[in-house]
Amino acid sequence: MNFLNSYGYYIGAFGLVFIGLLIVLSKQNLIKVIIGLSIFDTGINLFLISVGYIRSGTAPIFSRPGMDPGGMVDPVPQALVLTAIVIGVAVLALALGIAVRLHREYGTLDLRKMRELKW
Amino acid sequence: MVSPVLLIAVPLGLAFCVPLIGLASRKAARLVPIVASLFNLVVSVSLLRSALEAPIVARLGGFSEPFCIVLYAGPVGLLLSALVALAGFVIAIYALRYIDKGPTTKYHTLYMLLLVGATGVVLTGDVFNLFVFFEILCISSYALVAYLGDRGGLEASAKYLIQGAVGSGLFLLGIGLLYGLTGTLNMADIAQRIGDVGPVPAFVSLALIVAGLGVEAAIFPLNAWLPDAHSSAPSTISAILSGIAIEVGLYAVVRTVFTVFGATSMLMFLVFLGVLTVLVGEMCALAQKNLKRMLAYSSVGQIGLILFAVSLASSASVAGGLFQLVSHTMSKVVLFLAAGYMICRSGSTEISSLEGMGRRMPLTSFAFAVAALSLVGLPPFAGFPSKFMIVRAAVAEQGPVFLILVGLVLVATVVEGAYFFRVVQTLYFKKRDDVSAAADGHDVVPGAGEGRGDVRERRDAPVLALVPMFIVVALIIAIGVYPDAITGVLDSAASELLERAHYIRSVLG
Repeated sequence: MNFLNSYGYYIGAFGLVFIGLLIVLSKQNLIKVIIGLSIFDTGINLFLISVGYIRSGTAPIFSRPGMDPGGMVDPVPQALVLTAIVIGVAVLALALGIAVRLHREYGTLDLRKMRELKW
Repeated sequence: MVSPVLLIAVPLGLAFCVPLIGLASRKAARLVPIVASLFNLVVSVSLLRSALEAPIVARLGGFSEPFCIVLYAGPVGLLLSALVALAGFVIAIYALRYIDKGPTTKYHTLYMLLLVGATGVVLTGDVFNLFVFFEILCISSYALVAYLGDRGGLEASAKYLIQGAVGSGLFLLGIGLLYGLTGTLNMADIAQRIGDVGPVPAFVSLALIVAGLGVEAAIFPLNAWLPDAHSSAPSTISAILSGIAIEVGLYAVVRTVFTVFGATSMLMFLVFLGVLTVLVGEMCALAQKNLKRMLAYSSVGQIGLILFAVSLASSASVAGGLFQLVSHTMSKVVLFLAAGYMICRSGSTEISSLEGMGRRMPLTSFAFAVAALSLVGLPPFAGFPSKFMIVRAAVAEQGPVFLILVGLVLVATVVEGAYFFRVVQTLYFKKRDDVSAAADGHDVVPGAGEGRGDVRERRDAPVLALVPMFIVVALIIAIGVYPDAITGVLDSAASELLERAHYIRSVLG
């Protein structure tokens, strides 16, 4: 089962996911929360890549006839990660934009001090 | 026959034309969303007729299935895309007058992207494509919630963004796991292969996907963002978020559970979650003094009711749930649009400041009252047959548990009646002692940034705001008087959701 073949990557990926979630849940500074989200995203991307990764595999390009597709890494997760990175950048940019505006309004990035609504 | 691809391609293309048109004339740019959503409405309704006989499957990219991205335009997808287009159309007309300050061209671009995202989610037959359209929907709604740029809006947007980003991250994690397990992203292909996967990994990926989508669908423990986001956004955006965005999220949950996983063991859990969501939503709504917050919590309750009905998974209950979805969308759109100008004219978002509105703004108040009564479930409005169908289907289920659950749902409906009647009573039967008292007697509350019109103005809402409200009010009454007009579509939509084998066959051949 090639799912278990590269165990290390999964540990790394889920480690990043949990670190990111922990930061999002425990930090009160908006910038730190956004950094947490970014780490969380990175973990997910690493996970997606490792799903299709084969140790010492080649690029999935049939450059000569008769190449063995079994030794190639799966291209689909890489395409997914490319999309996911772009989406992550958009969310990150928007989040930072909102953080800038909030800082202008409140003079602080501490979420505990933003009490216009019930957090 | 036109291809369902146009339902996504035309609005998406026009969305990016809006800034260009806006360079020439900002007035012309405002008309683009109306044109695009009218186009979508016409195409969806005309495709619906042939989709009732056989679902239309469009394959993109020139590959054969399961490698291509599939658009699956069945009765469910087209019903929902018609609903998205209808709501988008009326709200876009309303926005012509209502959205007059700030970067309006950007507003219309984002608004159209939101509609594209919602249409894409309901039509796609590919899980990763579902994620992408979901993100289009979410990112544009994060930005639109903060459109007014006031403290409440920015804060609600930050909150929504953080929770939404975590939710979509979990969703993507679930998709990655699903791809690792089955080696495919096509929903029908996954549905075919999921049986060979071990129960534990399949459950983990289902749990991740449901948890991720549950944030957007505002299912009970994950709905903390909703009241803030819906009450702080401009009223047009509250209407589209409440009427379309959460329903689309719920559709994605249901599609994943029913079609992709066929997880019948999960349904009872969803039934309980639905009942919990109804109770929590309605109880919180009862406690609100802020009109838009009350409407937002009422949306939570309604989502719970729809989830409850659909998860019962009999053909009558799924049809009832979809009916409730349609009637909720129509009512909530009218309620938020009416609330928009009421808040504008009274200068406050407090319910108590609406005293005497029935005389000051008779037409707006009438639309509000009709929508409120429909949502509560009184005849002759659309909410009555939908709630009736749900209750009848739930009682038909075997077992005393269901009777208790139906009882709880009915209690929640009574609570819903209580707070909506309170508002209607305030509108019509309370006299205002002093016109200016309400205007400056209240604290600044979230969303009060909208109350920028002349507070003492006694006029009703402008015609451009009344026309869209009354289009929907007419539909609410028409469907309430003659529910058979849409029950045929609902029945075949219910059977599309329940019959997995048919879905798989029609995609994979």
